Amino acid sequence: MIRSKRGETDPYRKQLKSDCESLLGRFQKTESVRFQVFSEIWRESNFTHIFYGAVKHEKRAFSRRVLDLAYSYFLPPLTFQIRVGGLYLLYSLYRCQTASPPEQIRVALKDWDEVKKFEKDAADAQHLDAVYILRQLRFLKAFHFTAMPTLLAYKKKRKTEKSDLSEEFVERASRPQELINGDLLEELSNIHELYEKMKTSVSLPSEKSVNMIHRSFVPQLRGSVLDFHKWQQNKDETDLDEDCGEGTSSQQECSNRAGLIASIKSKAYGEAAEASKSRRHRQVEVDPTSNESGPSNAPGRSRKTKPSFKARTKEKFHFSGDQLKASSSTTMISHLTSLDPVAAENVKYFKRFPSK
Amino acid sequence: MAASGGSTTSNTNIPEYEYSDVNTKPFHIGGFRSEWLSRLTPEDYSYQPEEEDTFDANFAKEHGVSAETMAELKSVCSIDSLRCHPEDEQPDPEVVPPNPTLQTLIERKKKQDYKASRKITKNRHDLYANELERLTYGMKPEAVDDILPEGEVILTVNVYYPASYDKFNYVRPHMTLLMTGSHSLAEFRDAICCVSDLQVCGEFSNTPNIAPDFISKDHYKSAFFYFEGVFYNDMRYPECQDISMTTIEWAKSHNFPSYSQAKMEDTRFMDLNVKVGFPYLYCHQGDCEHLVIITDVRLTHKNDCLDKELYPLLTHKHRVATQKCSVCHIFIGRWFTTNDEFAPSHPCLFCDKCFRTLHYNEDGYKLGDFLAYPYVDRGAFN
Repeated sequence: MIRSKRGETDPYRKQLKSDCESLLGRFQKTESVRFQVFSEIWRESNFTHIFYGAVKHEKRAFSRRVLDLAYSYFLPPLTFQIRVGGLYLLYSLYRCQTASPPEQIRVALKDWDEVKKFEKDAADAQHLDAVYILRQLRFLKAFHFTAMPTLLAYKKKRKTEKSDLSEEFVERASRPQELINGDLLEELSNIHELYEKMKTSVSLPSEKSVNMIHRSFVPQLRGSVLDFHKWQQNKDETDLDEDCGEGTSSQQECSNRAGLIASIKSKAYGEAAEASKSRRHRQVEVDPTSNESGPSNAPGRSRKTKPSFKARTKEKFHFSGDQLKASSSTTMISHLTSLDPVAAENVKYFKRFPSK
Repeated sequence: MAASGGSTTSNTNIPEYEYSDVNTKPFHIGGFRSEWLSRLTPEDYSYQPEEEDTFDANFAKEHGVSAETMAELKSVCSIDSLRCHPEDEQPDPEVVPPNPTLQTLIERKKKQDYKASRKITKNRHDLYANELERLTYGMKPEAVDDILPEGEVILTVNVYYPASYDKFNYVRPHMTLLMTGSHSLAEFRDAICCVSDLQVCGEFSNTPNIAPDFISKDHYKSAFFYFEGVFYNDMRYPECQDISMTTIEWAKSHNFPSYSQAKMEDTRFMDLNVKVGFPYLYCHQGDCEHLVIITDVRLTHKNDCLDKELYPLLTHKHRVATQKCSVCHIFIGRWFTTNDEFAPSHPCLFCDKCFRTLHYNEDGYKLGDFLAYPYVDRGAFN
């Protein structure tokens, strides 16, 4: 295992991901699945250079990483076009790698059926270059037929390293349409007819107990699926229209986050001065005041700072009037923090967000 | 295409993640192999390269492609279309190209500049990590019988340091072995080299020459592997005892699920039901325990080392710094002495030559008063 000093297993992960995604993004924009288009984008961005400059012993590890990354773009649930792009990317990286001996492309058993399905879909749609490239890879014996896509050594990663698929690349869910397709509807309506005929032949039409199903359920089903499809399309369009709207909401999110960071920072700096043991009880007093000063210190940012622990406890545990005073005056903290009876009253404890 | 309930039947021979990117659920290695072989054509995993013309002809026939379209396809998809520079103007691949636009290259340049500025000595672990693999890559045997059969399964197993070592026990595997599916666990055991096997217990100042006869490997031959609830014991020699019995009996008395036993020499890797990426145990010498993780299972490939005789193949060995003799500082220490009037420190490490020249005269008689113990350095297998 090659590691840098800090124990990083994947030093170029972010950059590789962004490079591959920008390439695939450009490919997606062309709305084509031709290898010619892909190779043009490859040449324009001089992507072969991605291997250059690696020191001798790094070459194999780097090849391994980049091939594993590209492999993830070849599998569902990404859109067909992105998967074709992933295939082209795999092919190009495999041919252009500088590692010697060359690293192979690892295909896991669980993914092989998907690969075959992809090949069939491409062949049916007459995308000969995609099929040719896939066959070429098999001809070149570029695949390692493995159990899992990567080597596993029981490494439990921190959550921040979870790989998430870029949303533009992911195939839209189309399960309702896949399930209720034309053939199924035809069959259903045939069976429905037969059933109706049998029912009328067996019993009188006035008998209500036999009417268990909707008369026109097949057209209804078809109608619902079409509605769903239309709604999906409309949602897409409105999403695009609301880009400006979404822009401001994401701005708000940014300002929320900024406010949160500001409050954390102000708390941290508020407690930074370590009081000596004898006066440590006074440190707690800093909190409420720093909370109040937090928003005022950052006037340009949103006021959505996190309420203090006391405020949150108050929110959760609803004390009624007298109980509130009694509860707050008998706790250890209130005893410690009250300098003298006069000062204690001056310190205001108020809920940041009134409970609803 | 329609979800007609086919996905509800889970095939236990197809490996799936138990925890994503950490380890898989248990599966049968032999079953896994048959699953792959049933899905592939023999050409996919054969070692012989296919003829390009046959490939083109087959492709054209299968998809009803004319000769011109075929030629066009070939030229479009050839490696020439990926060439970013004309043939005679290729930039040096060993250097990061100037004015990089790709983020990876920018990052690489940054790292290289930083490293150059710090003047760190080269990291030998990284430099030689692939050395063993490079030596055996693509080796083909002379005799045809010794060639690894096509469609054979290769497992990559990491063996880790025993928990008694302070540094690096979780991080770097001690050694990485490539095993084939037809190897037995006993062969695997023989391939694992642990320094505790060479330890000699006892004081040998009076009889230094017979020390090598007493290595622990010969005395304590028992060992076991633990995979998925089964203890595989080594019962090849009459001295071997079943050391897993203690654990099994303890487990029974404490309401653990019951474990079973099997023989190491009768079990091949192909018969095992294991998880990939999950730690298992190898225990020998009674208390020297190593973690064993199977990191990869795959079919053979034409670029692998195809000589059966070379397997189990060591592809990675971690090197440990060794302690040298306190006299010559050249050879690794083999003896250490206590209560030694000749030695500068207590205890003191000597290599074999220095030890004998210092403590024994030409006839082999012991000089002076001391206690000597054979010492096995951790890096003895470097």
